[in-house]
Amino acid sequence: MSSVTKDCVGDFGKHVPAYASTLRPRPHDELREWGGSRLVRGKRVLDLGCGDGRLALGVARLATRVEGIDPDPEAVASAKTNSRRAGVRNARFAVGAAQHLPYPDGAFDVVILSWTL
Amino acid sequence: MVDALVEIHRVLAPGGILVDARPDSRVSAYAERRKPRGFQRFGIVKTSRLELANDRASDRAIARAVRDELFKRRRRGRFWHLVPFSDLAELRKYLREHLRFVHRAEWVVDAATRNRHSNDQFVIRRAVRYELLEACPPDS
Repeated sequence: MSSVTKDCVGDFGKHVPAYASTLRPRPHDELREWGGSRLVRGKRVLDLGCGDGRLALGVARLATRVEGIDPDPEAVASAKTNSRRAGVRNARFAVGAAQHLPYPDGAFDVVILSWTL
Repeated sequence: MVDALVEIHRVLAPGGILVDARPDSRVSAYAERRKPRGFQRFGIVKTSRLELANDRASDRAIARAVRDELFKRRRRGRFWHLVPFSDLAELRKYLREHLRFVHRAEWVVDAATRNRHSNDQFVIRRAVRYELLEACPPDS
């Protein structure tokens, strides 16, 4: 990671309270409250502040493609491990900051800020 | 935060949806004992001052993004989420270590009742708010 990216990530991380993933609502419960599976079905989804991939992996079976990004390298490593264990092939995870997203314009149909902003 | 919302707007296709979901600090959380049927309220758990300030800053950032016509508000709502604990000591440990809440509950039952039920299962019942925002076309 470049020093510029590290600085951005570090700064962003200061403003993000840590939440234990296991103590949060289950992905399908959250999705149901937001309006159901049609929100992400067949869509390109970005999970911003993805942590260990809890939500991203939860919606991956419905979405065309899921990208997860988080400032915490350890959380992203966990997300990658969880993704491999779950056999999810359409989810990718990367370290990064919300202010500098490494994606082209209009790349997603849905962006999820779940317990992030 | 506004910078992040501008960046989110950039990567969203026009008409795409931003979901903003987070704990609702405008509503108190509750410490409750799990009974065979239902729950007994044991205390009120308030949000820490820092998190209240952060939540207000997030609200202002969203409001500005809407004002700047990056997003249109589509739908919002709230639901309750239960965080389970095996006993009262575990709940107290969670409050001591968790950043979001103040570290001690305001108990609404007396100490004798708390001691009597300290080995029962507990939950923290907290509100989660969400809002769906639609990305406006870049030139709108």
